[in-house]
Amino acid sequence: MMTGQHGSQPIQHQFNPYSDNGGTLLGIAGEDFAILASDTRQSVDYSINTRLSHKIKAISPSLTAEFKAQNPKMIGTKNSILFGTNGFSADGDALTRQFEENWKWYVHDQNKSAMSMQSAARNVQHLLYGKRFFPYYVHTIICGLDEEGKGCLYSFDPVGSYEREQCRVGGAGASLIMPFLDNQVNFKNQYIPGTNSTERRKVDYLSLDECLKLVKDAFTSVTERHITVGDGLEIFIIDKNGVRCEYHDLKKD
Amino acid sequence: MSQQDPSTINGGIVVAMTGKDCVAIACDLRLGSQSLGVANNFEKIYQYGKVFIGFTGLATDALTLSSDLKYKHNLYKLKENRGIQPEVFANLISSTLYEKRFGPYFSTPVVAGLNEKTGEPYVAGFDCIGCIDAARDFIVAGTASDQLFGMCEALYEPNLEPEDLFETISQALLNAADRDAISGWGAAVYMITKDKVTKTYLKTRQD
Amino acid sequence: MTGLSFDNHQRNQHLQSQHNVSFKTTSTGTTIVGIKFDNGVVIAADTRSTQGPIVADKNCEKLHRMAPKIWCAGAGTAADTEAVTQLIGSKLELQQLYTKREPRVVSSLQMLKQHLFKHQGHLGAYLIVAGVDPTGAHLFSVQAHGSTDVGYYQSLGSGSLAAMAVLESEYKMNMTKDEAIKLASDAIEAGIWNDLGSGSNVDVCVMEIGKDAQLLRNYRTPNVREVKEKSYKFARGTTGILRTEVIAEYEIDTSV
Repeated sequence: MMTGQHGSQPIQHQFNPYSDNGGTLLGIAGEDFAILASDTRQSVDYSINTRLSHKIKAISPSLTAEFKAQNPKMIGTKNSILFGTNGFSADGDALTRQFEENWKWYVHDQNKSAMSMQSAARNVQHLLYGKRFFPYYVHTIICGLDEEGKGCLYSFDPVGSYEREQCRVGGAGASLIMPFLDNQVNFKNQYIPGTNSTERRKVDYLSLDECLKLVKDAFTSVTERHITVGDGLEIFIIDKNGVRCEYHDLKKD
Repeated sequence: MSQQDPSTINGGIVVAMTGKDCVAIACDLRLGSQSLGVANNFEKIYQYGKVFIGFTGLATDALTLSSDLKYKHNLYKLKENRGIQPEVFANLISSTLYEKRFGPYFSTPVVAGLNEKTGEPYVAGFDCIGCIDAARDFIVAGTASDQLFGMCEALYEPNLEPEDLFETISQALLNAADRDAISGWGAAVYMITKDKVTKTYLKTRQD
Repeated sequence: MTGLSFDNHQRNQHLQSQHNVSFKTTSTGTTIVGIKFDNGVVIAADTRSTQGPIVADKNCEKLHRMAPKIWCAGAGTAADTEAVTQLIGSKLELQQLYTKREPRVVSSLQMLKQHLFKHQGHLGAYLIVAGVDPTGAHLFSVQAHGSTDVGYYQSLGSGSLAAMAVLESEYKMNMTKDEAIKLASDAIEAGIWNDLGSGSNVDVCVMEIGKDAQLLRNYRTPNVREVKEKSYKFARGTTGILRTEVIAEYEIDTSV
């Protein structure tokens, strides 16, 4: 006779509608820019589905011929919203598509050139909370410029709780990178030498260049230690000139 | 009442790093019962001759293991009439843990020391059944091990002088602990060099 | 000191009934292979060990020596592969001293499978055993429950399918030593790139008839980390300090 938890009871099989596709999403809001970055690996269990998936989409008003001629490398205007999702990628894609749809109708109906970050964030909340009891299994981060032209970032949990923040990491590598950002962006636990541990190091906006370095180092680090992170790094940068995208290789093992 | 994994009941972290002719090992000082803080002076690092070992995981097992190893270290000294080397101690811990393969201690130790013959810094970590992880750079353990991995992987560089290694290991520990609800509440850092060992208590958040 | 102790077993059983016990062991997610060639046998492994989705060790050794010319590649629970391999290794040495004969691969295989069968699969060791002895070169694999296989090429671990894909398409009879080393390394690399449980470097061990076994540690290193964008060295005095004490002053030994 069996006495453990196993064996004595029949096993019930159930359909699991979710899967974990790994990966990491990172956003930093600067003084007059914002960046949103993610790795490009999409995996399930121990297998890689693709080494070049796109977890971030730049949602932008259509580019005029004049804009394209002046900024050949830009993929969006300064009114764009960088929309990033991480977790179950099918849900992420669905959410991105739905938001883009909402964004287009909003711009059309209200006869505006774009959607403000505030409104975008509230809309995402509604999309997520609308599925409160069958959630989109994703961590969402959106980046853009606010109405004063300052860098702006909102992050969401799977059911729509959101907050405006300076920086945030979502996904598999979140627990590895977040303390690093606390330390290097907000200078947590750092004092000014010679003050006898009484004066904290002053927090100031980081330059775009400095932020990009941090993002790259964060991703190469997490690639070393997390098996679902790697292959490539896509960095979207939005500032007063528009949106551009950088790609860097990450380790593929 | 249902609780969770025994290795995350009490909380706590240990990290060790190698530097240029030096090695550092650090721990937080919290002992808790789930979310309730119980003590802020629970040191997790023990000295065995010139070898230092940090124990994370279930506090009762960490304590049992630390005194079992003290006993074994004393016997080693009596039999061999010499100090134990960190590599040897790592193998001793490994076999001690593996002995309980089918009823393990819920503790993951971290060893740090300098080899007295070669002067080489040595750090090693274990899982709860004694698999040795002998890294050249750093070892992390405890409830914030993910956070520590991220910190160490980003901050660490080889061949740091003791003064610089102190800053690096301290910042790694502090920022990792701040992103873990059941670690922190004080911290202690041991800096081990050829002729001196210093122990420094850090100024930390108290929440 | 011999054997296993079950002191904590009852306590842990109790804990298990009350709590959701899940102690994490280091597992070598792993890709391992073994290939026979015209004058011997070669085994190879990757060097990543994991705890769940986290990489615990980036350059661990999965190639174990059981006798000078009998080596073993291990996948599964890292502590088990190490322990079982050391145990049989020391038994082989005692047997060699007692019989005054070189240890044979078949005897190590028999000892391994009997030990693993006795433990009914609770020792999570999946091994590729290879070596040369007076009867020639041999290659076997053992599963955790004690079953064994013989073959000209073998692969085991989470990356075994990726590796076997390479072996099945590239293997041919009577390869030279260099061909075998290349094929083994290529098979491991397939695991490194395509299996998330495997990564970092390739270790190889060559056992050739009439020669000493040769361990080629980090034979290939295709995953060296690039230099960071910047140094994260802190200004000295950045960390807040409460107090410092010197806890041991070692005498410098000046005697000769």
